[in-house]
Amino acid sequence: MDWTKQFIRYIIVMLLQVLLFDQLQLWGACHPYIYVLCLLMLPITIPHIPSMLIGAAAGVVMDIFCNSLGVHTAACILLMFIRPYLLGGIVNDKDRLNEQISLRTLGMETFVRYVAILVVVHHLTVFLLAAWQWQHIAFVMLETAVSSLITILVVIGYNAMKYK
Amino acid sequence: MQNLLKILLRYSNFLVFIALEVAAFLLIYYNNAYPRSSIFSTANDAVAWQEEQITELRSYFSLKSQNEQLALENADLRNQIVSMDSVQIDGSFRYSSAKVVQMTTDQLHNYLTINRGSHDGIQRGQGVRNEEGAVGIVRTVGPNYSVVLPLINTHTNLSCRFLKNDYVGTLQWDGKDCRFAQLADVAAHMVVNPGDTIVTSGLSPVFPEGIPVGIVENSVLKTGDAYHTIRVRLYTNFKRLKYVELVQNEHLQELEELQNGLD
Repeated sequence: MDWTKQFIRYIIVMLLQVLLFDQLQLWGACHPYIYVLCLLMLPITIPHIPSMLIGAAAGVVMDIFCNSLGVHTAACILLMFIRPYLLGGIVNDKDRLNEQISLRTLGMETFVRYVAILVVVHHLTVFLLAAWQWQHIAFVMLETAVSSLITILVVIGYNAMKYK
Repeated sequence: MQNLLKILLRYSNFLVFIALEVAAFLLIYYNNAYPRSSIFSTANDAVAWQEEQITELRSYFSLKSQNEQLALENADLRNQIVSMDSVQIDGSFRYSSAKVVQMTTDQLHNYLTINRGSHDGIQRGQGVRNEEGAVGIVRTVGPNYSVVLPLINTHTNLSCRFLKNDYVGTLQWDGKDCRFAQLADVAAHMVVNPGDTIVTSGLSPVFPEGIPVGIVENSVLKTGDAYHTIRVRLYTNFKRLKYVELVQNEHLQELEELQNGLD
């Protein structure tokens, strides 16, 4: 695994997040958090506890930009905690789990399922914790649906471009 | 003992997960209750500087409308000079200006970051307004930048009153539309008409009395309700906010000491 490559990708993705995706104030409910791409694409060979710590670090950085200390942190830790269990559950050929996670190694269907489930879990957690009150639940659901869709498309598009 | 260690080791992933989540939830709780940490917010120098560059870049695309706004403001100021005798000045408040570095308007918890911090004498709890009306309250203060809690944040409560009869209510926001807020705690016996002007009450040390907030858009009173449901059209256009004024209450510290002494 190449740490430098992972780090450079993280910087580029965070720049895109802050410069482009945080500026989308189009429909009021559109807040895609594309930075989860870096967490989703981390090799599964990283042990469980360090991977949760990486998630926590990425969450704190995003929280600073959102003035929401703890919200993204909690969501990213949850994402990194369920990731290995989810992969174990949806990947039939266990030999593939030794490789890097990508569209090519997992296959289209499994990969889309993997990305969609984790992105929805992450976005729903972020929006629920940010709202903090049940009275906003309808807005939270709309926000989750719109934003998750865009994030999922970005992650899959990135992979389709890279592993054409 | 050995068995206990075995169990701990077996479930170590889960235990670490729980510990991290508890830490994250404590962060959320303390950040909501006592948002003192300026490093972990957009009041952080590096983050605010970066946001400032983005806003700067974007502002070139709205030069025309900014010019028009300035022209309007100039005209308004000239009118105010003409009628200067009618301007009331409350001696305990002072004003200073700041530039908006970053702002969101489409989330439940919107914030704005301004380019003034503790080096410029900014304190937590100061009021923020612009030439249109009230904007918000200073929430977190960094050395050179501060984060402001605007009226359009679901955490905000601002004591306001009707201009016509001094009846006091609390301004809140439902998280839906950044042009409208809601006025709560107005009892059913009050007569509320669309077009009634809402101003700050002066009951809290944040704002002087009578800063414009908005006008009543409509009010609903269902049978059996004890309070009106009032929708207020805010004077401040948060989508176009570029410059703000900070309201400094000279007696803020004294007031706080007095109130703390009561507890």
